[in-house]
Amino acid sequence: MPDNWGYVVAAYAVAAVFLGAYWRYLARRARQLDAYSLRRRRPPSMGHREPRAHVPAP
Amino acid sequence: MRRTTIRVLGWLTVLALLLGLVWGFGVAPREVTQGNVQRIMYLHVPSAIVGEYVGFGVLFLASIAYLLTRSERADRLARASAEVAVVLLAITIVSGSIWGKPTWGTWWTWDARLTTVTILFVMGLAYLLLRGMIEDGERAARFGAVLGILAPLNVPLVHFSVYWWRTLHQPPSLLKPGPSMISGDAIKDALYINLAAFVLLYAYLVATRVRLLRREVEALA
Repeated sequence: MPDNWGYVVAAYAVAAVFLGAYWRYLARRARQLDAYSLRRRRPPSMGHREPRAHVPAP
Repeated sequence: MRRTTIRVLGWLTVLALLLGLVWGFGVAPREVTQGNVQRIMYLHVPSAIVGEYVGFGVLFLASIAYLLTRSERADRLARASAEVAVVLLAITIVSGSIWGKPTWGTWWTWDARLTTVTILFVMGLAYLLLRGMIEDGERAARFGAVLGILAPLNVPLVHFSVYWWRTLHQPPSLLKPGPSMISGDAIKDALYINLAAFVLLYAYLVATRVRLLRREVEALA
């Protein structure tokens, strides 16, 4: 039987893409939560004002 | 699980996956009948076993635990396990299809094993979709737990499909009682090392996801 290395490489490459995509999703979620908790922890006395776009609509 | 522990688990996973690659491509010999395309099995078999049995098994037990105790930890574990199981099943289906083309001569056939695994995959997707569709957290957890119990009931059907129906798919390679049908110790070792690596990968991804789900709840509180 021929070696079919192309199929072997394709199978491992697809697996790497799937796992990489899921790992990136988890990393992005972690960064969003870090940014969110940092914003919440920032004391208001520092004089920092949120940009207008971040102010929730009434 | 603490952040440092998860990080250590992540590095252990990377090492185990690298060892699995070295064993699968450097140590295990070229299989006599199938040739090098058999090396796809070092990816396909571990992802199938961990995705189907471990991933859906944990989803099943954690869903039962949630309905009995209403514990948020059980719900987070169920949801994380379902996500990782779906990713692993996607790898199983695609790698099996790529292996099938040179070996069986077709990318896909409505064989009993392939069909039951696909049904399991779709049920996993349905679980995640259901969780995402319901905004009320308690209702989402409750409805999810019911589907989390129903979906894994398909796992025995997947396992025994190769015995109950005449299929193109071979019987189980590792989870078969009696003498092993795998020829060669190096091939068997490569399968076991990659299986251990995928168990670690599953544990790392689930631990990371559970931690993120807990942080999401804390952030919204």
